[in-house]
Amino acid sequence: MQERNNYIEIEDFLSNESFNLWVKYQIDEQNWEEWTLEDPKRAKLVEEARLWILAMKVSEPTLNQKTIDIALEKTWGKINKKEKNINIFQKSPKKFLDNKWIKSVAAVFILGLISSWFYNNTILNTTSTPIYNELIQDNKEGLVEQTNNSSKPQIITLSDGSSVLLQPNSKLSYPKTFVGNERKVYLSGEGFFEISKNRKKPFFVYANEIVTRVVGTSFRIRAYDNQPDIEVLVHTGEVKIKSNQSVTKSNNQEVVLFPNQALQFSRKNLTFNKINDIKTDRTLIQTTDNIEQLSFDFKDTPVNQILKIIEEAYLVQIDYPKDKLKNCYLTTSLNDQPLPEKLKIICKSLGNNTTYEMNGNQIIITSKGCD
Amino acid sequence: MGDEKAFSHLFEKHYAHLIRYGNSLSPLKDKVQDCVQEVFTDIWIYRESISESIVVKAYLLSSVRKRIARHQERDRFFGKTTSIDTIEFLLDFSIEHDLIADETTANKVFNLNKLLNELPSRQKEALYLRYHQGLSVDEIASTLDVNYQSANNLLYRAVLNLRKDWKDIILLFLAVTTSLL
Repeated sequence: MQERNNYIEIEDFLSNESFNLWVKYQIDEQNWEEWTLEDPKRAKLVEEARLWILAMKVSEPTLNQKTIDIALEKTWGKINKKEKNINIFQKSPKKFLDNKWIKSVAAVFILGLISSWFYNNTILNTTSTPIYNELIQDNKEGLVEQTNNSSKPQIITLSDGSSVLLQPNSKLSYPKTFVGNERKVYLSGEGFFEISKNRKKPFFVYANEIVTRVVGTSFRIRAYDNQPDIEVLVHTGEVKIKSNQSVTKSNNQEVVLFPNQALQFSRKNLTFNKINDIKTDRTLIQTTDNIEQLSFDFKDTPVNQILKIIEEAYLVQIDYPKDKLKNCYLTTSLNDQPLPEKLKIICKSLGNNTTYEMNGNQIIITSKGCD
Repeated sequence: MGDEKAFSHLFEKHYAHLIRYGNSLSPLKDKVQDCVQEVFTDIWIYRESISESIVVKAYLLSSVRKRIARHQERDRFFGKTTSIDTIEFLLDFSIEHDLIADETTANKVFNLNKLLNELPSRQKEALYLRYHQGLSVDEIASTLDVNYQSANNLLYRAVLNLRKDWKDIILLFLAVTTSLL
């Protein structure tokens, strides 16, 4: 910094941080006031510089922390996507397209794209191809598939602690453990999802032509191969939905849904229809299940009763020592928690000597009672 | 892990400022968000090869500007804009009303503010980068993609013209008030 006694232009003052602080916030670390009064000529210059600062205000940017958090999360998503692309092309950096072999592969690939576009646009809408099968073939993570052929919903727990209540005639494919910065699962049919919160690893549900993205919420997706619409109903939290561009080749629109909102996606026209309040839509509310209608807010409720409600909601069987727990009461809110998390919270509140074990739809709680 | 933390920190520290700068260059808010996020994306991906000595703030600001310019070139809905030079700095300077006590000062500041906002867009942008972002003339030159001398001229001309105009106005103002008396 220039010695201030040599300042002759107002520019000198304007770029001096300490001077700015003094004018704007009256923080006089370097005795500007005294220094100004020493010399009348100087005072004139200082006064002019002050006016400049007053006339040049730029307010502080106003973005709240939440917006920034969301943006950061989006950026991680972009990073992942880009890193993947780079990995594909890295092997032969510059002369990638010079290679004849690559050229022919590219030609085949492009041909494939054109034909799949043609296919999607002409055949898909009339016969509804099982997109689900194509999607899981593209995934290289080594997926586990669970099919519900029974007549009752089935509970599936995922490696991140999320749980999915899979309806009859539905399938879900998911990796045994989630690796990388994304959690991806594939649905055909209908399921109610309760996703454990992890801002760094967004959770994606691929269901026919749409992709649903969340960080930790609960919602229902209905995406049957033989139905003309896909439906997403949000129970808690925030859910973002896009059409899957690798399937639809169009429509980059993203729809954000909040609790009690729903979305109908027309598979024929690739259009979104947003419903702002599920509760006012009778046909929609009828399609929700016990799990959305039961409340998990408990106030001094006997633990035995809480466990019964869980059994009813998730269609599981819980084996627990009724006698030992009969005098235990809990006050807690378990809304918006996946099933494993609900059980964990209950066991923890009962004290150190309570644990649970889960095997399919069988749950065993071991306890010596509450402390 | 340490890298990730540092990255998040960098992001949180600069994101809001960059969005504001971006918004002053393009009215398309979604595009601006994309551009800023892409700048950070590249920083992460090329973090090994970015030299440590670069001044973070200047680098970020100029990256955002270049990316917006590139998007403008690419996107048809911008109409005629084709090169980096046609990017317009749309931000208006406002007045520190809270710090003004008397009417004379208020009048002076009001006139000066008006003149400032009437400056050619590039001069305004140079002033913003210099006095609000604290960039050096060198850094402004590279952000605006001009040489050092031009950047210096932009700043110097802005202030010089303004002081001249402003003195005229104040003299006029004084003349009017004294003649009224």
